Amino acid sequence: MENSATVSTLDSPWGGAASPFGVSWQKLMMWVFIISDALLFAGLLASYGFVRLASPHWPNRAEVFHLQFIGLMTFLLISSSATMATAVGGARQGNRTLTLRFLFLTILGGLAFLGMQAYEWATLIGEGARLDANPWGVPAFTAFFFLLTGFHGSHVLSGVIILAVVALRSAAGRSSPHGVELAGLYWHFVDLVWVFIFTLFYLI
Amino acid sequence: MPRTLEDVGYRIYWFTWALLLGLTLLMLATGYLVLPKLVLVVLLILAMLIKALLIGAHFMHLRFEKLSLVLAVAGGILATATALFFLISIDGMRILRLSLP
Repeated sequence: MENSATVSTLDSPWGGAASPFGVSWQKLMMWVFIISDALLFAGLLASYGFVRLASPHWPNRAEVFHLQFIGLMTFLLISSSATMATAVGGARQGNRTLTLRFLFLTILGGLAFLGMQAYEWATLIGEGARLDANPWGVPAFTAFFFLLTGFHGSHVLSGVIILAVVALRSAAGRSSPHGVELAGLYWHFVDLVWVFIFTLFYLI
Repeated sequence: MPRTLEDVGYRIYWFTWALLLGLTLLMLATGYLVLPKLVLVVLLILAMLIKALLIGAHFMHLRFEKLSLVLAVAGGILATATALFFLISIDGMRILRLSLP
């Protein structure tokens, strides 16, 4: 009797059954984390939007940044997302060599991105950019630059560390395809956030 | 039309990569075009949203997940971001009135 009651609860009319989202709890929690982390960036970008609209002047980004350089950073991150997706595909097929090779390429892409960001920060700081002041006349400009790219950069750094751990575990045969997929979700999220920062801060 | 990730294999990742790269180049090229500011902003935001959709659908596999998960993720982000925006807007509107130096 108890068994039939359980079955009728699980076989709901809308087809949710025991797994309404059709994913493991780990993957579902990763999505919950991604949604909450997306809110952090949504808040930062919304604040940036308000301040930008409130400022009578805003520096011309083409005069402050080398947009081709930023474009190259974007290319690196997009490419690392493609290599990460291929690593996840390899893990699903049980191809450890392919997984490791593409995980390594993804880590390399992440490190190159971080190196280029460090160079960009150093260049701007050298030109007098500070959190509360800069030579372009709008203090909020560099405050948001350091805030947005700093938060994103810290996500890239933690992503690289997570991927390194996953790669080491994969090499030792201790990582499941599921673990690689979860790390991949996080890495793609980092790429997704950059799409917004690149457009809203650097281009518009 | 392929219904599962296994049907499409790795092709979809590199096809998405090529699309993302093309869109990025187009976005950078808008800097050299003489267009009204509003048109430029609309074009850039459209390209940004297409890129976000491509990453979510293909790289994050949302296209191949159950509809309930897709709706929970998309609805969750939209609902909470909208709520957050309106919370910020109370102070945001004050900033607009004050006008920064």
